[in-house]
Amino acid sequence: MRTIDDFTMPVEYLSPIDKFLRDASRDWANKESIPFRRGYDEDWEEHHTIEPAFKKLMGEMGFQRFFFPEEFGGLGFGHSNYAGVGGYRVCEEVSRADSAIGVAFAVLHWPLLLICKEPHVNKRLCAEFAPMFCDTTEPVFAANAMTEPQGGSDIENLDLLSGSTIQTTATLEGDEWVINGHKLWPTNSGGVSKLFGVVCTTKLGSNDPNDFAFIFVPTDLPGVTQGKPYQKAGMAADKNSDIWFENVRVPVWYRAHGPGDDFKYFKEMVAWGNLLSVAFCSGAMLNAYELLRDFCSEKTYRGRPLKENDDIAGVLADIARDIEATRIIGYQGARMLDRPDLYGDNWSDEIVTKMRSFKYFACDRAIDILDRAMNIMGPYGSDRVQDIEKHWRDVKIIQLWLGGKQLGQMEVARWFYDCETL
Amino acid sequence: MKYQELFPLPDEWIQESDRSMAETVSSWAEQEVIARRLEHKEDYDALLLPAMRKLMVDIGLQAMIMPEAAGGGGMDAPEAAMAAAAVIEEVGAADTSIGFLFANTLAIEYALAVAPKRSEESLKQAAPLLCGGDVTICSLVLPAYGTDMADRPRYYGLDYPATAKKGKDGWVINGGPARPQCCGATADLFAVVCDTGKGKPGLLLVKGDAKGLKRGEELKKTGLAASRNADVTLDKVKVPADALVLEGIEPLRAMLSWYYMACAAACTGALKTTHGILKEWGDTRVIKGKGQVFKENPLVASLMGEIGSKTGTCRVLTYNLARLLSRPDAYGSAGSGTMHVTAVSALKQVGHLSMEAMHNTMELMASAGYATEWNLERYWRDVKTVQTYVLPETVAQTCMARQYFNLEQL
Ligand SMILES: Cc1cc2nc3c(=O)[nH]c(=O)nc-3n(C[C@H](O)[C@H](O)[C@H](O)COP(=O)(O)OP(=O)(O)OC[C@H]3O[C@@H](n4cnc5c(N)ncnc54)[C@H](O)[C@@H]3O)c2cc1C
Repeated sequence: MRTIDDFTMPVEYLSPIDKFLRDASRDWANKESIPFRRGYDEDWEEHHTIEPAFKKLMGEMGFQRFFFPEEFGGLGFGHSNYAGVGGYRVCEEVSRADSAIGVAFAVLHWPLLLICKEPHVNKRLCAEFAPMFCDTTEPVFAANAMTEPQGGSDIENLDLLSGSTIQTTATLEGDEWVINGHKLWPTNSGGVSKLFGVVCTTKLGSNDPNDFAFIFVPTDLPGVTQGKPYQKAGMAADKNSDIWFENVRVPVWYRAHGPGDDFKYFKEMVAWGNLLSVAFCSGAMLNAYELLRDFCSEKTYRGRPLKENDDIAGVLADIARDIEATRIIGYQGARMLDRPDLYGDNWSDEIVTKMRSFKYFACDRAIDILDRAMNIMGPYGSDRVQDIEKHWRDVKIIQLWLGGKQLGQMEVARWFYDCETL
Repeated sequence: MKYQELFPLPDEWIQESDRSMAETVSSWAEQEVIARRLEHKEDYDALLLPAMRKLMVDIGLQAMIMPEAAGGGGMDAPEAAMAAAAVIEEVGAADTSIGFLFANTLAIEYALAVAPKRSEESLKQAAPLLCGGDVTICSLVLPAYGTDMADRPRYYGLDYPATAKKGKDGWVINGGPARPQCCGATADLFAVVCDTGKGKPGLLLVKGDAKGLKRGEELKKTGLAASRNADVTLDKVKVPADALVLEGIEPLRAMLSWYYMACAAACTGALKTTHGILKEWGDTRVIKGKGQVFKENPLVASLMGEIGSKTGTCRVLTYNLARLLSRPDAYGSAGSGTMHVTAVSALKQVGHLSMEAMHNTMELMASAGYATEWNLERYWRDVKTVQTYVLPETVAQTCMARQYFNLEQL
């Protein structure tokens, strides 16, 4: 019988520890999440049933240590040339069980990428924050606080607006940054994280990349307030809330790199965010394939298993085709991030744009195949027991975040067609 | 501009009385659902059940198409299709799941009271339930996918959920576990499509407290909070002879044509509210940092155009179908091959178009669209659930191909 491993992946790109990563994360998915995921939606506020899955994956298996250099107790992925394909593999396997856990897990690494990854490791900050994540078997989260009430897309629209719409300010007072502002929606907010990476401006309204600042803020500092998690259509394992910063003071060296470089490497974060969004989609799609295959073998129509009906088989074929394409694109993207020597810097406009195009392709395909899978299944398609509907609800937001599909389209058009005014 | 002016319909189809009924329902929607949902979200006991009680009993929708003599609203004629479309659109705009429940009630009442050869005995038996002083939750149990390959009579390739055998004292029904269209856990009255052993389907009424009717565990599902569904098993359930409401393919198709129209109207209602939510967002949101009002962005506008067009198209399709069903004298029986397939086709188009419009609206509203607080996401889930529950995609396609291209084997 075919399995998800029969979907193509460029094997020559895989990390040297791919088998370990696959087996460990798949085993985690099968034992720690899939048997419990049907209860996650009701647990969106408390996370009682979700917490053990995080603890196992991040704390006990140690996957929250991925990026930190080995000298600080990390697994050293930031120094490797396979953080992309390795990270993709784990996020894909985790998202096969639950893409919200995939997101929460990936986002914990997201701000850390700025300080842990070659060629821009900030050793002082690594030394400062590594113990938080590496000296414990409890799950520890971080968040990237970027979106603001007036809009997330504009902050992400780096080429056009260069941070000019950011309202969260960082003011230098002596040897401290004083941060004031209001953020919305960061994954792992709502009281979950110990550390925020905060997108700020050092000069309101400025579109000078030097005024864009990425500053780390431990969440227990005076002046940091988090709201209650929002209720949403899905993604229960990812908590999101308001965050207010009121005269929050951090040492000056908590800024990731400094004028110009924060902006540059933030683009790299955007590239990685987009690429891993493909992994969340392909994980969910692979699981949809498994669930659909079982359903269409068991249920009958015209007195035959569903899959033996030519019309249904035609749809099933389209679904498999889309999973093939999405997965190949995902691994290709991961490879491009791993090999800047071949494809250009992770923060280059070309890479950022291509990752955006991969992401919105994957999202469109994921939503379409989940829609079609549910339609084939009839009333069972919207039944929680089948789990496909959960993926359908969860995956929709992947299309909407990181500036949404329309910003993706504009960036892709801008790069490929030399548009000048979009 | 009013919604009716934005998405107009041929006015002459809708009678003044239909319009005023729709307005009553629209006020109900505002007071009983919309004003209270921020506090109660989709809570069944706090919001949905009291709202249903008001709508079905106090306003009287539940008995709307039952004959006056039986204690109903007296609209027991095909013309009621127009009124049904108009009120269900309003109900669906308030809460699509209540609209969907009412579609089930309406379909069963169509079979009881409006169908050309209605059975007076069946009507008499069911009337006290449907025209009484409390909400009677009704649910259709329709042919569905099966689990074995035995050679047996099927309905458009789908297995009958149950068989009914006629005995001296009535019928004995066996079947399941079957998935009702709605409310398996709470329904007071099921209408089960059975294989009656004569090579033709029959629709039999089974009361919720019938001996031998077992309900499975309540299902969690994507949307439709008012429908607390569960699979049901019928184990030697005995019902009287007059529980048979209709028999034969054409009468069954007629009832389904009405059901499809009502489901389409519920989705069209969801689009009405979606339009209001997106309009507010489009008028006030600003993007591109330069004070560009959201709706004035050409890319956004292109998508908004599509959403508007799909909303208008769904409305026209739904009301057009209602019009066809309301005039069997002009267009033929609701159960004819042509009418039935027209209903299937309208239902499927409305399903697709409304789903696309909801997807696109959510894209334009990003996180706000995904957050419960903004109310869009519940319609998105509800419409998807209606789409999956009412007639699987490929079955609808075969059904249409059969009629449009005269297939002989499928
Ligand atoms: C589950 C979840 C997790 C999230 N995680 C994070 C996180 O970790 N960190 C974080 O900071 N935020 C996070 N977000 C927020 C998310 O990234 C933003 O919602 C998203 O970037 C869009 O911003 P917005 O909602 O403010 O919508 P807006 O910025 O107002 O955009 C709304 C819509 O406007 C349109 N639009 C915007 N710009 C353009 C343009 N230039 N041209 C044409 N159309 C345009 C698009 O259709 C877009 O969808 C998360 C949200 C959710 C729901």
